[in-house]
Amino acid sequence: MKRRRRIPESAESDAINVSPLIDVVFILLIFFIVSATFVTLPGIEVARPQAVTGKSLEKNAVIFALSEENEIKYAGSTVQLEEIPSLVELASKDRGKPVVIQVDQWADASILAKIVAQARKKSSEVSIATRKPKA
Amino acid sequence: MRRRLTLEPETTEINVSPLIDLVFILLIFFIVATSFVNEVGITPKHKDTASSSSDLEEPLAFDLPDSGQLLLDGMVIGLEQIAPMVRSRSAEKRTSVIVRASPGSRAGLATQVMDQAMLGGAQAVKLSPLAQ
Repeated sequence: MKRRRRIPESAESDAINVSPLIDVVFILLIFFIVSATFVTLPGIEVARPQAVTGKSLEKNAVIFALSEENEIKYAGSTVQLEEIPSLVELASKDRGKPVVIQVDQWADASILAKIVAQARKKSSEVSIATRKPKA
Repeated sequence: MRRRLTLEPETTEINVSPLIDLVFILLIFFIVATSFVNEVGITPKHKDTASSSSDLEEPLAFDLPDSGQLLLDGMVIGLEQIAPMVRSRSAEKRTSVIVRASPGSRAGLATQVMDQAMLGGAQAVKLSPLAQ
């Protein structure tokens, strides 16, 4: 009688106790949700200029792009030079986000200089995206 | 009778497998989302407080005309000459570099000039547009 009862019980206890797993996974999930930063991408791909001193930039940035046709792109649409300070202010929400400009290497340098000057009005850190030269 | 009573509370357990599935998918999404944008770049730094004209030392001014050349004081120079030039100057004093870009000059060249100047150890690098 006793033995018979033990067999189905031991079969049930074979199931792994998943509660600690769920606990750990939940903690990881909450950590990644909190640390996740969603940036709005310009929506075009540019040929970045090469630079040897390029450093890894802040991920949580306001990103503009200057295309080969000298169009300024932000969040998938073309914007004007004068709109940049207000866009930076709107996107950084008083947190002082850095600005990253993805510039095409065949774009006009004077327009790039104007974008940098406009972005500097609202952000203390303005970077130009580059790529590492192939060794 | 007694046996059934002891078994009953075990069968009322909630099945957590779909929950785990969902949580794992969310977890993997957020892990991947942290590495969506990984940008490498240069950050030209210059002081905004003082205007460039009131600086004590004359900055090294590179001109980028629309012809695609690189000029220093009206002389054509090569990209590889910038870093040694800045390095020799910054050995004595603070060196600031200004890149004056004319309309029609290439952003790739302007970026490379700034990159080379920073490689040479320039403390301040400024990119400014030049109206023609």
